[in-house]
Amino acid sequence: MTTTTTRILTVDDSPSMRALLNHALSGHGFDVSQAEDGMAALDWLAMNEVDVVITDINMPRLDGFGLIERLREGSRHRDRPILVLTTESSDEKKARARAAGATGWIVKPFDPEKLVAAVRRVAH
Amino acid sequence: MTAEEIQAIFFAECEESLEAAEQGLAACRDGTQDSDTVNAVFRAVHSIKGGAGAFGYIALQGFTHTFETLLSDVRDGTVPITEPLIDLMLGGLDTLSDHVTAARDSGEPPEDAALQAEMTAAMAANAGAAPAAPVAAAPPPPAPAPEPEKAEVADSSGDDFDFDFDLDALLDDISDDMAPAAVAPEARWQVRVRPHAAAMRNGSEPLLMLREMSELGGVCELCDISSIPPLDGFDVGTGYLGWAFSFPASVGEDAVRDIFDFVGDDCSLAFGAQADMPQVQYPEPPVPIAPVATAPIAVPVAAPVAAMVQSPASAVPAPVEAPLAPDPELARTGSAPPAPPAPGQSIRIELGKLDKLIDAVGELVIAQAMMAQRLADQGLAVAEDMTMIEGLTRDIQESAMAIRAQPIGSVFSRVPRILRELASSTGKHVKLEVSGETTELDKTVIERLGEPLTHLIRNAVDHGIEQADERIAAGKPAEGTLTLSAEHRSGRILIRIGDDGKGIDRERVFAKAVEKGLISPDTVMSKEEIDLLIFAPGFSTAQTVTNVSGRGVGMDVVRQNVKDLGGRITIDSEPGKGTTFTLTLPLTLAISDGMVVNVGDQTLVVPLANVVESLRPEPNEVQGLGASRCMINVRGRFIPVIPLSQSVGAAGACTDPRDGVLIVVETEGAGRAALLVDAICDQRQVVIKSLDTHYRSVEGVAGATILGDGRVALIVDVDSLVSRSLASAGGNSPLAEAA
Repeated sequence: MTTTTTRILTVDDSPSMRALLNHALSGHGFDVSQAEDGMAALDWLAMNEVDVVITDINMPRLDGFGLIERLREGSRHRDRPILVLTTESSDEKKARARAAGATGWIVKPFDPEKLVAAVRRVAH
Repeated sequence: MTAEEIQAIFFAECEESLEAAEQGLAACRDGTQDSDTVNAVFRAVHSIKGGAGAFGYIALQGFTHTFETLLSDVRDGTVPITEPLIDLMLGGLDTLSDHVTAARDSGEPPEDAALQAEMTAAMAANAGAAPAAPVAAAPPPPAPAPEPEKAEVADSSGDDFDFDFDLDALLDDISDDMAPAAVAPEARWQVRVRPHAAAMRNGSEPLLMLREMSELGGVCELCDISSIPPLDGFDVGTGYLGWAFSFPASVGEDAVRDIFDFVGDDCSLAFGAQADMPQVQYPEPPVPIAPVATAPIAVPVAAPVAAMVQSPASAVPAPVEAPLAPDPELARTGSAPPAPPAPGQSIRIELGKLDKLIDAVGELVIAQAMMAQRLADQGLAVAEDMTMIEGLTRDIQESAMAIRAQPIGSVFSRVPRILRELASSTGKHVKLEVSGETTELDKTVIERLGEPLTHLIRNAVDHGIEQADERIAAGKPAEGTLTLSAEHRSGRILIRIGDDGKGIDRERVFAKAVEKGLISPDTVMSKEEIDLLIFAPGFSTAQTVTNVSGRGVGMDVVRQNVKDLGGRITIDSEPGKGTTFTLTLPLTLAISDGMVVNVGDQTLVVPLANVVESLRPEPNEVQGLGASRCMINVRGRFIPVIPLSQSVGAAGACTDPRDGVLIVVETEGAGRAALLVDAICDQRQVVIKSLDTHYRSVEGVAGATILGDGRVALIVDVDSLVSRSLASAGGNSPLAEAA
């Protein structure tokens, strides 16, 4: 891992979940940005660079699967580690996320330390 | 942000979610029962559950879990939407609201056992059993609340807290196993890992896994490189390597498996005792890795470990379809079509063939323009059709040009060596900063750029950057900095060569020019004009002629080289701070953008590269100067007006600036000037035909082109035309700075 700050984009339609993620990650020296759904994330990613994306699945406008698929289609974020963060833990959902190109999977509610460990595991 | 603040956000969000759920259920009751509506309700409850779990509101989490499960079934159509079900869900919403209030006010959670049982029953009954639910719910004993709820919570939290990968176990294992890593070698066991070709297409980085294995105490025994294709067929996005790691027996297999939890099917894994997989079986047969497309369509490459280990006989060389040098341009355009070529697929073409294509494209541009003109003359032009053909022609032309384009990095990469040589001959150590080395431009331009660039760099180090002691005295770092940059700007390439040296000593340049007889001592010159004197033939300011920058034959050659490339060179120098030379070059030599103008009975083309602006002067902006000259005031700056008709001998052209159009041009040697023409007809791409090869070189003319109507038009060499015409008007001192 590089010594520079790892930049994370959290995508979740719930403001409290975003706040929690921000709280959990910022405390560990990550640089955290937020988007409220897949569309907002795409807009943000079009203009900004990031090291890891953490996304919820169930969101209005563009859900987590759609976001991952769109990111993998383009060239800029094709190799970006993307963690899926959701309360749904069904195997079918995991298989879909994997098929869409998710790098990893974390089930909510998350333990901050586990979350940080997961981010470190995938951050290039 | 404190935990309380985040909680406050959560409760505000709960209110919104409850409202959304309420609206959704109301819509359901009114007959809108589509999946979007149900999903909105589901999402609202789901969202509350997520926060409840995170903040530890166990009762709230337990209830929302049941409610959510019911809603999930409703959404999936497992439980049909009936009147009683809607009532049940509305009841659930009320209880949920009470739960939220209780959680917020740290109050006692509402009694929800009966309701939860009813919901569970509704799910269990699957279809149409909802009405029976209340009956089923009745039996629970008087005080059943805490037990079922706790049980439920235990279940759900067990579910929800369960990480997909067990990091806790992993972390424990790390700490447990780090110490006893040095056990007897015979106790070791092996893991073989071979990420598939597509393993890196989901943002994974196999290197991190290798790193984690070593952190666990694993030792890399072998790296199988037999599948690496020849360099030509190499794709950086594909995994070609396989590894064997050995672990001490004290490291559990699960801990190692955890590392690959995220990897899933993207990676072949084999676990076993070292004895099972003797080393002699390595290297394994190369697993054929098919060339993998760059497009996201990942080609799953089967590289089972079993095959790796057990069938050493099937040695198949990795097929490499296109062993050709990668061409970034081709690779880029190639990734778009549905069946993309293998990365780096390219083809070697004789340059002559390419030039022929470029020529043909040039002719196509002319032919297209001619056709457009003909059709327009006949009143047959259909705007859309022509626009389409025009667009296609431009596309073809750009693609053809792109084939010839190469990154300028090939020129820049020679610079460090030049600097090293200079450091040893001059004793000046110079740091190099390069940017924009991927900027692409025409191969011919690149080839011919080397010489002037080298000269400018030598010049910068020799004359610009001071000796170390001088620099330190001036408060600068002892080491000088040379900045090289390239960028595209509006269809041209800008190349900058900057140094942080002493800048141009204008007094000395001026004195030297006088001494050399290049100018008279009383000439009035602007700073920029003095700077440009260094490009004058035979000019040299070095105190002693050094063997580095030559004998004063350099800079005028540089300017000539750049000019031959259809480019311009400008100087920006600040005493004590440094000098920057800016080369403005066309992307290609064959085609350029030009402004087609009418001058009397002639049509001429003014290269757009020179054009600053065009304007129709107000009468009071034009001022006479002597008998036949005049100046125009452009925003407070006086610029000499040059009637183009005078230079080209066109008959019947307008001679009064007030009647025609003025094109303000920028020149290298003579500052700005305004060319007087009758009218501007068009602004378009022109295919440059050399006059030298077809006729002979003519001063003031850069070449010729064929216009849409088939006529030949001369392309004006603005620099030489302006300086010649100003010189003939008496005094080579440009009048530009008279103001």
